[in-house]
Amino acid sequence: MKLALTNMAAISLLSIASASIAAANDCNDTHPSSPVSIHCGDAPSAVFDNKGRLWVAFVQDQYVYVSYSENLGKSYSVPVAVNSEPENVEYNGENRPKIIVDANSKIFISWTKKTSPRFTGEIRFSRSNDGGKTFEAPRTINDDGLFAGHRFESLYLTESGHLYITWIDKRDLEASIKRGENYTGAAIYYAVSTDQGASFSANYRVANNSCECCRIAIAPHGAENIAILWRQIFGVTTRDHAIAVLTPEGTTQEMNRASYDEWQIDACPHHGPTMIQSKLSGDYHISWFTNGDLHQGIYYARYSFDEGKPQHVFRVDGRAGAGHPHLGEYAETLYLVWKGFDGQSTNLSLIKSIDDGASWTDPRILFSTAQGSDHPLIVSGNDGLYLSWHTQEMGYVFEKITANEEVQPGD
Amino acid sequence: MISTRFPVGLFSRLFLSSVFLCSAPLAMADNFNAFTAESFEEIKSSFEGREFLLGLWSVDCPPCMVELAFMAELVKLNPSIPYVLVSTDPISQRDYSAEFLEDIGLAEKESWIFADSFAERLRFSIDPNWYGELPRSYFFDSDHAMKSHSGIVSEELLIEWFKKTLHFR
Repeated sequence: MKLALTNMAAISLLSIASASIAAANDCNDTHPSSPVSIHCGDAPSAVFDNKGRLWVAFVQDQYVYVSYSENLGKSYSVPVAVNSEPENVEYNGENRPKIIVDANSKIFISWTKKTSPRFTGEIRFSRSNDGGKTFEAPRTINDDGLFAGHRFESLYLTESGHLYITWIDKRDLEASIKRGENYTGAAIYYAVSTDQGASFSANYRVANNSCECCRIAIAPHGAENIAILWRQIFGVTTRDHAIAVLTPEGTTQEMNRASYDEWQIDACPHHGPTMIQSKLSGDYHISWFTNGDLHQGIYYARYSFDEGKPQHVFRVDGRAGAGHPHLGEYAETLYLVWKGFDGQSTNLSLIKSIDDGASWTDPRILFSTAQGSDHPLIVSGNDGLYLSWHTQEMGYVFEKITANEEVQPGD
Repeated sequence: MISTRFPVGLFSRLFLSSVFLCSAPLAMADNFNAFTAESFEEIKSSFEGREFLLGLWSVDCPPCMVELAFMAELVKLNPSIPYVLVSTDPISQRDYSAEFLEDIGLAEKESWIFADSFAERLRFSIDPNWYGELPRSYFFDSDHAMKSHSGIVSEELLIEWFKKTLHFR
């Protein structure tokens, strides 16, 4: 059974690899004249619209580009630049442009623009009202007017149509320095739009003393609130995770500690968490990396706001080199992908749970590459889950991860 | 915690200096060596039989700046200390990283910068148990037994190491 699965994975890997290596070969990292494409660009995000069209946003040569695919990633439309003027768009595994398409085909894009002085940035937002043909001039969402750190933004559209942007903000750190006071880490801020991105609320602070350089995970909490999960500094140097519920009115509810790893570190881990809401229980599936005194490696837990603590804590991968998990759920089955490095190759692995995270399958390697790669992401479609993964060797990989599973008898 | 070890004054001085220096970005020559999967062995060979400190940093890491600022002061007092810098920034952005070292006063020390987009392989070549968190420091004794530290190295630990290992005062 295991052998059959592995073979199938290998066959699908080969067919994808042969198709997209050609695409990746057209790109030249050091040459500025590489064609603009999802394969040659960096740090892509992907989302399906309600008609099943796949939309991607990526960075190339100081522009954010948007492109779509009518055939699940086999080919893409000519990319359209979101910003008309080049800007220093920040891109890496932890910080990439985000894309959301709403039911009326409005396209929302957010990213972080690096500004001088160092470690500073602005939270940028643009949208398209004509199905991606043109984009509005980018706007800056942080409203403090400071050359301070505003980075690692995340974007989320609720069922009610509230569009949230959350980010890591250093305005309070700067204010403390001016007063001659100490301030540990950064802060979490957000803003909300109730008019499809035409305007945004004032900025609201969620928490002081967050970690400075990890992505923030967002999941729904009811029709209009959201739950967010981020790396927070507890006490003096403990960089574990916190969870909270944010409302459109700017209030923060139910803030609590979500992981107890005791990672004492005065450093930037560059490992942010992932979170989705369970369709079975309404609880939150969370996964993260830590190298703490209590836990080391990638972990999964189910967090319930009622219980106020992580449950079913499970060590996904404790091997050196493992990191960057991402969660998805389809047909009441939970999927978790992550990256590992064995000294030669990066392996992309998958585990599944059919009991709401209480138990997990053995890991299965989906892909392997001996060149550089982005963090993996899981994208939800109407008919299953897809892997979104940018690689140097294969270009942009967009591949269904639920299909092969379903045809396996007894799986 | 940063603030208990380093005075706020140092932090704000750092911040202000970057405001001024950043406003006029200049292309400059740097002394970066390209760090590949073989470079770590190369560095160790060049320090054969001798102690040294390897400091990994990135322009993307605010805590690194606290450590680098302190190291710069130490280097100013003892220019010959065996301290090797490795930037994990991509070599394509070397100008930005070089400007940083120039500002902070470490442009003269031996410096390397990641020169392979397969960063996992480079990290692994130094230490399979390093997860990419920064700053990351490695203390080597004369037999090259390696002691690692994640996060800002405390002033006390650094001074102690340099005093004990290298008999600096």
